[in-house]
Amino acid sequence: MGRPGLNRRQLLAGLGGLTVAGSLGFAALGTGADALASGADTRVRYWNLFSGGDGANMIAMLDAFRKEHPDIAVKDSTLQWGNPFYTKLAMAAAGNRAPELGVMHLGRVAGFSPGRLLDPWDENLLAKYGVRKEDYNPALWNRGVIDGKLYALPLDVHVQLCFYRKDVLKKADLLGDDGRMIEVGSTGEWFDVLKKAKKVQKKGLQTIGLWTNDQNFQWWFFVAFYTQLGGTWFNDDDTEVLFDPDKATQVLEFLRRHVTDGYVIPGAPTGEQFINGAPFTWEGNWSVPVFSGAKLEYGATPLPPVFGKQATHAESHAFVLPHQAGRGGATDEGAHELAAYVVQHALQWAAGGHIPAYTPTLSTAAYQKLTPQNEYVSAMDHQANEPKVWFAGSTGVLAQDLGPMVVSSTMGSAKPASVAERMKKELTKLLASKNPMDGHTAAQGGAVA
Amino acid sequence: MTTTSAETVIAPARAQSAAASATVRRKQGFQHGGWFVAPFLVLFALFVIWPLLRGIYLSFTDANISGEGANFVGLDNYREALKDSAMWDALGHSAYFTLLVVPCITVLAFFLAMLAHHIERGKWVWRLCFFAPFLLPSTVAANMWQWLFTQGIGLFNETFGLTTPWLTDKSYAMLAIVIETLWWTVGFSFLLYLAALQGIPGHLYEAAKLDGANAWHRMVHITLPMLRHITGLVVALQVLASLQLFDQAVVMMDFGPGPELATRSFVQYTLEQGFTSYRVGYASAMSIIFFVIIAAVALGRMVLLRNREEGAR
Repeated sequence: MGRPGLNRRQLLAGLGGLTVAGSLGFAALGTGADALASGADTRVRYWNLFSGGDGANMIAMLDAFRKEHPDIAVKDSTLQWGNPFYTKLAMAAAGNRAPELGVMHLGRVAGFSPGRLLDPWDENLLAKYGVRKEDYNPALWNRGVIDGKLYALPLDVHVQLCFYRKDVLKKADLLGDDGRMIEVGSTGEWFDVLKKAKKVQKKGLQTIGLWTNDQNFQWWFFVAFYTQLGGTWFNDDDTEVLFDPDKATQVLEFLRRHVTDGYVIPGAPTGEQFINGAPFTWEGNWSVPVFSGAKLEYGATPLPPVFGKQATHAESHAFVLPHQAGRGGATDEGAHELAAYVVQHALQWAAGGHIPAYTPTLSTAAYQKLTPQNEYVSAMDHQANEPKVWFAGSTGVLAQDLGPMVVSSTMGSAKPASVAERMKKELTKLLASKNPMDGHTAAQGGAVA
Repeated sequence: MTTTSAETVIAPARAQSAAASATVRRKQGFQHGGWFVAPFLVLFALFVIWPLLRGIYLSFTDANISGEGANFVGLDNYREALKDSAMWDALGHSAYFTLLVVPCITVLAFFLAMLAHHIERGKWVWRLCFFAPFLLPSTVAANMWQWLFTQGIGLFNETFGLTTPWLTDKSYAMLAIVIETLWWTVGFSFLLYLAALQGIPGHLYEAAKLDGANAWHRMVHITLPMLRHITGLVVALQVLASLQLFDQAVVMMDFGPGPELATRSFVQYTLEQGFTSYRVGYASAMSIIFFVIIAAVALGRMVLLRNREEGAR
């Protein structure tokens, strides 16, 4: 070869090197700029998944914290809710580039390899900043405890509610003296209520919005009523499926009956119909700002105890400490301080409809004045949760697998009894399957030492 | 006898010199062209070749999303996938979609092209109308149709006086996606047909007319046979594109799998396994399986075509 210079391989290597060096350079630039921008001594990076009204409330709480703690620079990043968030958090924790503080749904914690991708909280440090176990509903606190260590500090509880329009229910004589919906204690009573409401409601609308086609909502409703019936999922060791198909069938038939009796228009938009005059809708408490903003005369109770016992589906936003190899020191303490502060100043958060997890907040006069929050605050003590296993949690594998089955029953494309059997089969399969994060089944589960 | 021996003597020499000049050309070609191709090659290697090889490797492991602690598990992922009824269901949805879309789009594109070709006035308006939707990003088109199909407020039901729950009933959901896809992508096939129509020499039609062939005969005996190759191309491209159904379906179904999983495509199920269940190894194995299926379809078409051409000869 007469020509001097590069051959192909050298060229490729050179270009590759340039690319890598370039990206590293940019990365270095990024972190440098961060440190320069904040004059504070301690920097706490905080990843969350709150957008919309929740996002604005969270930022207001962070700003209040910044004002009181000028020595701590809080750098918050809002990531897209759902799987992208969890994916990023997992990869960052595994790659040792995790932020000091993160937020997760409490139900997802067990599957997130606590001990490996998550670091435990220092309860003494939390107590120093004013948050103790005694300030929580014990069951809620314990959901964040795995192998005796606290991995998740709940910020709130968000629950499924029965929203009702007072103007419609008044006409149907379904409001009590206190201006709230009359109590319902059985499925018969519940369908009587629907029947009466239907007689006086605006024509052309459905009587109740049930999210009949939505696998998440249908799954949450199922969990609520299955818990009301006293149904359980697995034994304590997570070695055996205790799921009761008979109870499940009862719940599925109950949900289905709303459609067969004509109280639901499948596929009709739920919130919009409620705003337009439909008497009922079952929604998450995050719809409170929407309905309040629409200036409706409405109330909200936990899902009616039609099977005799109070229980409504509840999930929680919780603070977590993503795994950092060198966790500790001022930044770690800053993360504890920030989380403790937000937990204790969650009144603003309650405006988004969520029930603050820090119970002293609930007995403040300011909180008790909030309507309809003060009507459903009791849901804190009647939580229906998914089982504490790795495949559970908001938009997790369990909901993804069983949700569509509930929908198929409610929509009438499968018989409740056969769906209940299929659910049991799927639960058996899931219980035997291994958590891809650590290769453990639910029975072997827990934190990795 | 003599001629053959002479040829055998000469031929190798000729071939040799030709081969030599080709290598010279090839060498020179890289030295000049290589620099131009290099930037592409780097990106191609980085974003196509490397991920592909990495994907094949991962498919033999139980890797999770965090990227650490992967064990070699041999063919376990493949064995599990082939027994996974949810995977076959998802493949069925992709196939069903393909089966609905391909014939519709081919026929529709042909008729639209005929229309645009034969209309005398305002030709460009028609071309623009039929092709314009194809220029929209898939998310925009899907989002728009989601609104059109929404029950109670959607323009589609309103216009046709229907109350069909397009997006929320499992028997209609896929049809809704098919309708959206037709509207959105027919422009591309339409353009191919239009170009082909313009390439048919006019004298064929004149001759046929002189022989007394009416419009129908001219279409069946001249237009269609002359468009045979382009039809093959349209069908092949559509099959490959339709099997990869993903973006419009997830957008129209609010990033879910549709009512009772009715619109969960193979690609979507793979994504769920990787990013909801965190099973990157398993998802990789499914991707490879899908790759094999797609490659088989493409190869099958090639073989079919070659046989047909040989038969025609």
